[in-house]
Amino acid sequence: MKTPVIVRIFDIVGGPLCVSADDGQRVHDKIVPLLRDGTPVVLSFEQVETLISAFLNAAIGQLYGEFPEDRIRELVSVRDMDEEDQAVLKRVVDNAKTYFKAPKEFDQAWKEEVGDEE
Amino acid sequence: MIHYLPTIRSDQNGYDNLADLAKATAKLTVDRLELDFSRVSFFDANMAAPLGAVLAGIADRFNAVEIVNVPQMVERILRKNGFLTQFRYLPLEDSNRTTIPFKRLQRSDEGLFEEYLQRHLKGKGIPRMTDGLGKVFKQKLFEVFQNAVIHSESELGIFVCGQFFPQKQKLDLTIADAGIGIRDNVRRYFKGVKIGSVDAIRWALREGNTTKKGKQPGGLGLKFLHDFAWLNKGRIHIVSRFGFYEFNAGQESFAKLENDFPGTTVTLEVNTADTSAYCLASEASRDGIF
Repeated sequence: MKTPVIVRIFDIVGGPLCVSADDGQRVHDKIVPLLRDGTPVVLSFEQVETLISAFLNAAIGQLYGEFPEDRIRELVSVRDMDEEDQAVLKRVVDNAKTYFKAPKEFDQAWKEEVGDEE
Repeated sequence: MIHYLPTIRSDQNGYDNLADLAKATAKLTVDRLELDFSRVSFFDANMAAPLGAVLAGIADRFNAVEIVNVPQMVERILRKNGFLTQFRYLPLEDSNRTTIPFKRLQRSDEGLFEEYLQRHLKGKGIPRMTDGLGKVFKQKLFEVFQNAVIHSESELGIFVCGQFFPQKQKLDLTIADAGIGIRDNVRRYFKGVKIGSVDAIRWALREGNTTKKGKQPGGLGLKFLHDFAWLNKGRIHIVSRFGFYEFNAGQESFAKLENDFPGTTVTLEVNTADTSAYCLASEASRDGIF
């Protein structure tokens, strides 16, 4: 296995705030080439103070539309992340798995429920 | 034209009254609005955010806006929080340190929003909020702000304002976007289905539902907000176009406004005395995340 690369989120974002989808996209774009190359990435959240789901959806969630789950499990890990933020990431990951597995069926169910016109 | 604003409380009726202002002025262009406050017996300070959003829309059509006849008590609150200074009133010092000032930001201003929260949530009579609660509260406000950035398409910006109530141990913060509203986003997503505003809010609150297109999943921000309010015993209002949603004391309610309120406004009321440990879920361990 290749040597893991530590990806410091703070350095990519340029500060302690991980609160925008655009910044999440930049993190995503940095790690995808590594994953395609089969290089394990360790996402370090050291010095990150505020983290939201929109950032994580872009940075990590969308990986589930690009790589098989087991490949992500094999190559991606996190460190320096407190328990609250890990809980948020876990929800983002679970949601992403659902989203990419069956987005059409999910939408169709709602389409049947709605219909009030203003 | 002259419009008499009634009392504005942070509730369904308050939003209905602001939506009525938007409706009454909808055709006003290159003209003048005199907003008369003489009938305002009370004004909840956080409601300066949605009022600011409505007035920005009016001013954007080249109308001059003037606010007149503001009762003394209301004037004091709205000068302290800086809302009236936009309309040439003098600022008034907030000696009690309980205001969370009115601020108009642009969608690209996440950094300024951080500064705003840093400056006004800490050290302004809010000593009881624990670090853990403060962090999670801030996180939820960023979720709301980012929702406005991604979905509102607001060219007028994002309007924020709040108020701390030391006796009640509550803090209200309101974020208004003057954008297209949840309804129009959902209608576009469903390609022309005529969903109403209330159902659109109901849809958006369901975990995993998002109108984002492309490769990024979404649909967690509002769910997290709801979970936080539930744990904190706080309160949420979401108002978007004709839709009104309230989460309070563990109960959800939906209602339809009389008039079309411009954009989306979210209010989060946090119970600052809450000393709970704020890990929203404990099942996550680093090994089991992916």
